[in-house]
Amino acid sequence: MAQSKEDKDEVQGMRRGLLQGAGISAALALMGGMGGMISSAQAAEGGSFPAHKRWKIVFVNHVTTNPFFVPTQYGIQDATALLGMDYQWTGSANADIGEMVNAVNAAIAAKADAIAVPIVDPKAFDKPIQAALDAGIPVFAYNADAPSGSTNPRLAYIGQDLYLSGYQMGERIANLIDSGLVALFIATPGQLNIQPRLDGAVAAIKKSGKKIDVQTIATGATVNEELSKIKSFYLGHQDLKGMFAVDAGSTQGVAVTMKESNLPSKGVHGGGFDLLPRTVDLINEGFLDFTIDQQPYVQGFYTVVQAFTFLASGGLVGPANVNTGLKFVTKGTVDPYLNTSTRYEGKSTKAQIVPRTGAIKG
Amino acid sequence: MTDAQKPAKRPRRWSGALGRSSEIRIFAVALILCVYFETVNHDFLLTGASLQNLSQFIAPVAIIAFGEIMLMIGGEIDLSAGMVFAFAPFIMYFAIEAGLPPWLGMLAGVVAAGIVGLINGAVTVYLRIPSFVTTLGTLFFVNGLTLTISRGTPVSPPENSAFAAFMGGWGYSEIIWTLALAAFMHVLLRHTRWGLHTIASGANPLGASEAGIQVRRLKLGNFILAALLAGLTGILEGFRITSIDPQAGGNQIMFLAVAAAVIGGTPLAGGSGTIIGGLIGAAVLGILNDGFTLIGINAFTFNMILGAAILGAMIFNIHVVRLARKGNL
Repeated sequence: MAQSKEDKDEVQGMRRGLLQGAGISAALALMGGMGGMISSAQAAEGGSFPAHKRWKIVFVNHVTTNPFFVPTQYGIQDATALLGMDYQWTGSANADIGEMVNAVNAAIAAKADAIAVPIVDPKAFDKPIQAALDAGIPVFAYNADAPSGSTNPRLAYIGQDLYLSGYQMGERIANLIDSGLVALFIATPGQLNIQPRLDGAVAAIKKSGKKIDVQTIATGATVNEELSKIKSFYLGHQDLKGMFAVDAGSTQGVAVTMKESNLPSKGVHGGGFDLLPRTVDLINEGFLDFTIDQQPYVQGFYTVVQAFTFLASGGLVGPANVNTGLKFVTKGTVDPYLNTSTRYEGKSTKAQIVPRTGAIKG
Repeated sequence: MTDAQKPAKRPRRWSGALGRSSEIRIFAVALILCVYFETVNHDFLLTGASLQNLSQFIAPVAIIAFGEIMLMIGGEIDLSAGMVFAFAPFIMYFAIEAGLPPWLGMLAGVVAAGIVGLINGAVTVYLRIPSFVTTLGTLFFVNGLTLTISRGTPVSPPENSAFAAFMGGWGYSEIIWTLALAAFMHVLLRHTRWGLHTIASGANPLGASEAGIQVRRLKLGNFILAALLAGLTGILEGFRITSIDPQAGGNQIMFLAVAAAVIGGTPLAGGSGTIIGGLIGAAVLGILNDGFTLIGINAFTFNMILGAAILGAMIFNIHVVRLARKGNL
C-alpha cells in the first residue's frame, strides 16, 4: 500500500518535471522560431538599391575552425551587413569532402540564394555545383579553384592564383638557398587550395637547376598537429637548409620551430603563406624570412559583393574571376601588419576605419 | 473481489507497448523532430531534393551502425570502422587500376575490409585483448596504411556509369542499400540461429557457452561482418561524392554509428540489440544534422546545438520508458 503511494508520488514528480522541461523547451523553441521569423520578414534597404529580400548566402568551408578564415568571416559579416544579406558559415572542420558535399546539398534544399565553396577536390564538387545551378542558385568558388581544364561549372573564382604563388615562392627559395635539404610542408596533400602552390614551388626549384633536395611532408589539418609534425621532422633532419610551408597553420609551425631552435643563426631559411598573428610577430623578430598574403578578408567580402550584384541584376552581371593577391611580406614590410590590430587581418572584432598617411610602397 | 481484479486494460496496453519497444519510442522522437524541422523550415522534408539529401545524411551512419550493433550485443566494439571506411575504396581503386573489372575490384575492397575485421576478431577472441584496445590499434594502423598506399592524395572512382550509379552514384542508391541491408540484418539478428546465438551469448556468455553455443566463433564472425559493412559503406560514399579520399570518414563517422546504435536502443554494455532501432537512431542523427544545417546554424555553434539536441532526445526517450513502465503515462 505504502509502496504504491511512494511510486505514485515519484511518478507525479517525474511527470511534473517532464512537463516542466517540455514547457520550457517549447517556450525556448517558440522564441527562437519567432526571432528567426522576425528577422527574415524585414526587408533590406541600402543606398541606391530598392528594397529587396534579405538574400542568404551559404559559405561552405573545408576547415571551418581554422584561424586563417577568421578575417574571411569578418569580410562576409561586413559585406552582408553593408548589403542587407544574411549568411551561414558551415562545412567540415577537418577537410572531409563528404561533409562539404552534404552541406552544399543542404544549402540547395534550403533554397539558399547563393552558395560559395572552396573547390578543394578536383571532381567531387562538379555534380553538386551543377545541381545548384540547375536549381537557379549561383555558385562561386573562393580560396580554392578547380584545376585548369576541369568541367566544374562555378560562376567565378575569388582567391589567389595558387600555382603562380607557389612558383614565385619556389623562385625565392632558389634565391635564398644554393644546395641542400629543403622541407616543404603541406597540411593535406592533394587538396586544391594548397597542392598547386606546392607543385609550383617544386617546379620553380627544379627550373633553377640548383642542387636542392626537396622533401614534401604532410602535417595535418589542425594547427596543433602541424606544429608537432614540423618539430619532429626538424629533430630528425637537423642538417636541413630550409623549411617552407604552403598553408597558414604549417607556416606558423615553421616559424615557431625556427624560433625555438634558433635556426636563422644556423643559416636555415624559412617562409610560407598567410598572416596568422604569430607568423607576423616572428617575421618581425627575424625568425622567418617571408610570408605571402592572399588577403583572406576580401575572399569573403568580394564573394558576397559578387553574389549581391548577380542577384540584384537578375543574373546579368556579377561573376568575375578575382585574384586576391600575392604579396610577399618580409621584415622590411611587416610593420603595418604589426601595428594595426584590425578586423581586416582578423586580429580584432572592432569595426574600424584605419587611417593611413604617406606614400604607398609597392 | 472482482473489482480488485479489473485492471485498466486500454491505457496499459498502449503504454506497455511503449515501455517494451525501444524502436517505437525512438521512432516517436524521430517523428517529433521531423514535425519540428518541417514547421521551422518548409524545405526540410516534402521536396524530392531534400528527401534525397536527408537520406544521404542517414545512409552511411546507418550501415556502419548495423555492424556495430552486432558487436555491441556481445559487449564488444569496433573503433576502426571509420578507418576501414577510408581503406576499402583505395583497395578497390588499386584493384581496378591493376586491370580487374569494377565489380571484382569492389569485391576486393570489401574482402580487404573483411581481413581487417578478421584481425580485429582474432586478436580480441584468441589473444583475449579487450576489443576497445584491439580496434584502437587497428584504427591507427589502418589509417596509416591508407595514407601510405594513397600517398595522401585523393583519387577518382571509375566513371563507369551503370556500375557507379548502382554503387552509390545515383541519389537514392545509398538509402536503398541501407534499407536492404536493414532488412537482411534484422532477419539475421531475429530469425536465424546466428543472430539468436549472438543475443544469447551477449546476454549471458557463460550460460550460452555451457549450452553449447560457440561464443568465440560468433564474435569472430561479427567482427568480420562489422568490417565488411564499414568497407562497403566507404565504397558507396566514394561513388556518391565521386572522390576517394584518404581523409574520409575517420573517427567522426565511427562515433556517429555507435551513437546511432545507442540512441536506437542497443545498450553499450551489451546483452540486447535492435537493428531497426539502429536505423531509426541513424535517422534521428541525420534529421538533426540536416535540419540544423537547413535552418542556417553556423559552424561554430552547430556542435553545441547538436549535442544538446541528442541529450534532449535521449532524456525524453529514457524518461518516457520510466513513466510507461510505471503504467501511468
